[in-house]
Amino acid sequence: MAYQHQYRPPQFNNAPPDQSFLWNIFQRVDKDRSGAISDTELQQALSNGTWTPFNPVTVRSIISMFDRENKGGVSFNEFAGVWKYITDWQNIFRTYDRDNSGFIDKNELKQALTGFGYRLSDQFYNTLIEKFDRQKRSQVAFDDFIQCCIVLQRLTDVFRRYDTDQDGWIQVSYEQYLSMVFNVV
Amino acid sequence: MSYQYGQGYPGSGGNPHHHPTPGAPYGGAPIGGQYGGPYRGAPQGSQYGGGAAPGGPYSSYGTPGAGGAPRAPYGGQAPGGPYGGYGQPQGGQYGQQPPAGNIPPGVNAEAYQWFSTVDTDRSGYINLKELKQALMNSNNTAFNDETCIMMLNMFDKTRTGRVDIFGFSEMWTFLQQRRAMFQQFDRDRSGSINSSEMHQALSQMGYSLSPQFVQGLVSQFCVRGVNGIQLDRFIQVCTQLQCITQAFREKDTAMTGNVRMSYEDFLSGAVTKLM
Repeated sequence: MAYQHQYRPPQFNNAPPDQSFLWNIFQRVDKDRSGAISDTELQQALSNGTWTPFNPVTVRSIISMFDRENKGGVSFNEFAGVWKYITDWQNIFRTYDRDNSGFIDKNELKQALTGFGYRLSDQFYNTLIEKFDRQKRSQVAFDDFIQCCIVLQRLTDVFRRYDTDQDGWIQVSYEQYLSMVFNVV
Repeated sequence: MSYQYGQGYPGSGGNPHHHPTPGAPYGGAPIGGQYGGPYRGAPQGSQYGGGAAPGGPYSSYGTPGAGGAPRAPYGGQAPGGPYGGYGQPQGGQYGQQPPAGNIPPGVNAEAYQWFSTVDTDRSGYINLKELKQALMNSNNTAFNDETCIMMLNMFDKTRTGRVDIFGFSEMWTFLQQRRAMFQQFDRDRSGSINSSEMHQALSQMGYSLSPQFVQGLVSQFCVRGVNGIQLDRFIQVCTQLQCITQAFREKDTAMTGNVRMSYEDFLSGAVTKLM
């Protein structure tokens, strides 16, 4: 599991984890007992399987996704979503990280993203690896993989909105471009 | 080379765009020397003499070490330069006297002191939590996470989301500059920059953006209950604007202000510039 024991087989296949199970975890993660899990608390609870701190940018992305009131953390109700989100990503990651090394290489990344429906050039995969491989191993760890997918998804969404004729090309002004990219990454 | 914070250095070298090209649809080039004002008591131009890296203000922040670009360790700072004084009436006071304690070479003495205070767990690194506790907006709210993470990434040479004393010293200098800019542009001293002040600020930095766009930007980044953007978001907006503008420029080779780009052009421009 992404939480603490990163590569344990999933205990709850498809079935949502029950509330008391989640409540237990929530309380352990919410170290200051504030009733909300902050970036730091979530970061400390998550493992990328490589003995390095979980990517804080990924943590921020995930929290902001589920933090509805913009309070800088997630409540217990929101935490259920966070838990499922991370578990889902972990299952996907494990599918491609066949040797359980905690990393996926360029070819595996390509397989994963192609599986999601992306059609990207080989050169662009080099760019992705270079950008998202924080550990300089020409491979991508679990946390960086999530971030890579989040960024691609957001950029693709915004591109689609501008690509009204769906031909894969857009024509944009400077200000339009700024609006598209601002705050995506 | 050093990060993009060459922008705004008084007397910064290596920046060919002292004025926006006439007729250029967008700016983004800082006008040299214009931020001299807030750095009271220090001679302009000499204070940050070593600060501006060749390569201009748009070099690769966020790609530390990427692409193999050689970068002097902690480059961009004049060793022993008088960084300490600004923000205070007595400029340069830390440059002239031997620093107390074992301050590593090239590290700003004031930053060193701060580092010891902020590094509460004595790990030798400042992480997100520690940085957040140390940085405040003028209404005593903590800096937002995005800005803290962004700055950690800018100055983090270890790619672990934290900074050592050398990275922190550079961050300190960067912060002081941005704070001085912020204070200069916050003309009514309200502690936040409203959209007309922001429009003026960005124009002075060389960006030509419509008032409507700037207004949208400010409302996107302002916090509830505050009329305008605070220091943390100001730093975030300026840094992002600089990087995104650079990405656009690279595509807008004809300088028309309009770009036609494919899906993958778009992705790679954004991904390359914005990490």
